[in-house]
Amino acid sequence: MNDNITEQITDFLSAALRRQVEPDDDYFAQGLADSLFALELVTFVESRFALTVEVEDLDLDSFRTANRITEFVRRKTDAPDRGVAHAEGV
Amino acid sequence: MPQQALQHGAAPVAIRSAAWYLPEHTLPITDVRTLDETERATRDALGIDTIRADDRLSSVTLAERAARRALEQAGLDARDLGALVMVESRVQETFLSSEVTQLQQRLGADNALTFSVGGLGCVSISPALLTARGMLAADPALDDVLVVHGSKPAAALRYRHPVTVNGDGGQALLLSRSGRIRIRDIAQLTDGRYWDLFHVDYRDRPTAQWREQCTEPSTYSFRLAMETRNRLSSMLGDLLRRNGIGRGDVGGFVSQNLSAGSFTFIEDSLDIEMLPACRHNLRKYGHLGPNDVFLNLRTALDREELAPGDLAVLINVSPVAAWSLLLVETGPQEDVA
Repeated sequence: MNDNITEQITDFLSAALRRQVEPDDDYFAQGLADSLFALELVTFVESRFALTVEVEDLDLDSFRTANRITEFVRRKTDAPDRGVAHAEGV
Repeated sequence: MPQQALQHGAAPVAIRSAAWYLPEHTLPITDVRTLDETERATRDALGIDTIRADDRLSSVTLAERAARRALEQAGLDARDLGALVMVESRVQETFLSSEVTQLQQRLGADNALTFSVGGLGCVSISPALLTARGMLAADPALDDVLVVHGSKPAAALRYRHPVTVNGDGGQALLLSRSGRIRIRDIAQLTDGRYWDLFHVDYRDRPTAQWREQCTEPSTYSFRLAMETRNRLSSMLGDLLRRNGIGRGDVGGFVSQNLSAGSFTFIEDSLDIEMLPACRHNLRKYGHLGPNDVFLNLRTALDREELAPGDLAVLINVSPVAAWSLLLVETGPQEDVA
């Protein structure tokens, strides 16, 4: 699943930035990102993975590479499952 | 309930007259100085063709010229003005002196309750309006509050990487309890974690070396940008809800003039379209700080982009960070001062 998430993200990034983006490329450090790109990126992550990026989620480190975004998506989408598992265990 | 009273109960405040002073001298964007090729390329992509600039005119002079026009339009003698509120200049000409009492003296507004507000960059127009509304609500004997601002760049360069280019311009809004432009609601929010994101170091260096710096460009382009999306979206929903209206009831949106990209960002963030007057004024005047949104509203009315009686939402964002929304109701255009 990880690979699939990362692949979807790198595909998006490569199209948005018009260059091949690898999973660990830091496009913010490379100076490729502006606010419009950030908006496009976050909107893509929200719609593709059915989650909401809240103000408290806005840590740049979660979005600076495709692999970091994958970890973020997993944290956000796994959270309800952990809650259910915990409830069942009580 | 008076016609101007808000659905959610705030006191009425309206624009009795409004005026701007823009210097005659027009400066092509290509003549605005930048420091390197990256800045030049960004400058040329802002969507600004020209600005108005006159280095001989101070912020106070710009504000004074607009104020005289607004008072004349309303037929109000400066001596009869109840209150004078200046949105503070980004940089005062001298320390310890008072620009707002200088303006009071120049105008002859001897009986006006006089002071400055600010601290929120472009958003500082909102605390000025909140102040005016509060004073008009609290003092039945007070009839008019003149809110003024003279916009000049803070640093030596008019280009502000990577945001915008500042022009010069003065604005004066004469506020009263009734008028053709009614300010139906004011929403404002700040987040202090960004207080120093942009700054100009000035101690122990000549003015020519004053440079505006963005301390963390990635914070500006990502975190603050996305927080702006979330904050404005939430604020807009609250604003419409508490006034009992929907998006379809809003005749038009305007924001401050930073760049074509900033308009697109807000449009995409809120799923709205700016009135064409915004891009028109950006091209002609660049950024005029707290003066942009009402100048854009005026231009939209002149160009008949809004119909009489329309509601408009005025959006302001500042990287300090502050956000504000103003819900205004327009009157018949021929009566707009």
